[in-house]
Amino acid sequence: MTRQEVIDGLVEILQTVRTINQEKLIGVTDETDFIADLNTPSTEMINIASKTEQKFGIEFEDDEIDGLGSKVKDIVDLILKKQAEA
Amino acid sequence: MTGRKVAVVGMGGAFPTCKSLDDFRDKIFSNQSLIRDWPEALTYDKKIRSTVAGFITEAEMDLEIIYSTLLENYPETYVDKKNRIPNINLATADIGSIWAMLGTQDAIKMAGWSIEETQAETTGVVIGSGGGGNTILRNAWHNFYVLGKKTRLAGSHSVDRSMPYREVANVSCLIKNRGVAETIGSACATGLGNIGHAYQLIKFGLQDRVIAGGVEGTSLETFIGFDAMQVLSKNFSAAESSRPFDINRNGFVCGFGSGIVALEEYEMAKARGANIIAVIDNYFNNSDGDGDMFYPSFAGQQRLWKGLLNNNTLPKPDVVKVHGTSTPAGDAIELLSVVDTLGESGYHISAPKSQFGHMLGAAGSVEFITALLMLQEQKVLPCLNSDILNTELEPFQLQPDWQGPKKPFSHYRHLLPQQSISKPINNIVCLNYGFGGTNSAIYISKDCAKPEIGTLNQSAQSPKPEASNSKNDR
Repeated sequence: MTRQEVIDGLVEILQTVRTINQEKLIGVTDETDFIADLNTPSTEMINIASKTEQKFGIEFEDDEIDGLGSKVKDIVDLILKKQAEA
Repeated sequence: MTGRKVAVVGMGGAFPTCKSLDDFRDKIFSNQSLIRDWPEALTYDKKIRSTVAGFITEAEMDLEIIYSTLLENYPETYVDKKNRIPNINLATADIGSIWAMLGTQDAIKMAGWSIEETQAETTGVVIGSGGGGNTILRNAWHNFYVLGKKTRLAGSHSVDRSMPYREVANVSCLIKNRGVAETIGSACATGLGNIGHAYQLIKFGLQDRVIAGGVEGTSLETFIGFDAMQVLSKNFSAAESSRPFDINRNGFVCGFGSGIVALEEYEMAKARGANIIAVIDNYFNNSDGDGDMFYPSFAGQQRLWKGLLNNNTLPKPDVVKVHGTSTPAGDAIELLSVVDTLGESGYHISAPKSQFGHMLGAAGSVEFITALLMLQEQKVLPCLNSDILNTELEPFQLQPDWQGPKKPFSHYRHLLPQQSISKPINNIVCLNYGFGGTNSAIYISKDCAKPEIGTLNQSAQSPKPEASNSKNDR
């Protein structure tokens, strides 16, 4: 799975999170910040993490979620790492 | 202590089968029943004893459930097809909280409060609900305990969507008031208890405006608890199943809904030209004090009336909106305590649960709204299905220690209209009771010449002997 394919999958997840302004999901890149750029409510981050696990068929450790940064690249890196481990 | 005068200036809510408050008004004054066979209960066949309810579906409120892709049957959030509630507020709300927010919007619109008034430090929110379980918790717990899934799969909103004061939290976040934000819980008196608390906050100068009421979101989880107690009506058609005072009544009908009112200090409301729907003259709450969780107390209700009427400084009401659940013992004690207090004539009794069932935590507030509508319409809502009244004394009336009225129900036929009737109405008393022996009553009047309430004296009179000890539901 390419990096862009992971980002595209992530955007599909974000499109189901109704508290995110959907207009801001155009042009999401590695540097997009969930909090600063997308105004994602912090309480929604755990929902995004859970849906990410489901979509990509992976399972995060609690410590990995606790230490996750707020940029798209942080979660993309983690997804690719978990896929490589599988 | 003589406090400030309190006006009711707005109302809104969610009512079974009704698209709006006006729809609700039209249906109840045309003697319709809002109770239906409940498809959700019927799917469980013989596991559920009663299958009728005054339920409200999401579609009827122009809402749509978005189910989680992570957990089976978990309503992750809702879509408001009319864009009344922002998505950020829908994310933290269970269905009852959404109804509370919608009712609040309607009540504030009717009240005509400005944004500044709504968001003031002197504007409070006091709303409660009765049910202990709901879809949010059921699914979260089932997926964790039974299916062994991680807690995070339930998402980050199972707490804010299920905590006891969730309706206040959601309404307060929606309207951004800066005053009181708390809830009163008193079982089936919750709706009226919250309005009573709001009244006292304004009366004693702690707030100038309060959004108040009660909510009971449609919930099979709530329903099955009462079904298990065998206290729900059965063996009647849906429209005939709630029948307060009728000799063949055999239990109450679960109802669901929401009733929200906007209260305001009277002089402020008057000064800004608000439409004053009613004035609240007094609210009173007490406890039976007999140690009985379920059985109604004649003595407790006598003390309730004494406190409410403030040692008879308030006139006999034109209408008594009773709790009237359609349970055998509850209706019997209540009717006789009303007659014992007010006599045998000069008023009528209205039992709105006969039309939409027992809305539990919302009962007191939705029925308070029916009282407001009765004041507006100058019509008494009926005791639907009170077809046959007992011509014999109730068993407890034969007990040697019974000191209440000693005439059978049939003697009071003239007090119990079977259809809505027109008559001049200036004052209405609303009564609600709850498990644990809590009793609540409120006295409202039209905004016109009437006696000012005097100094409150909440001391209790000597209780009369209790009724028999047979169990039943409030």
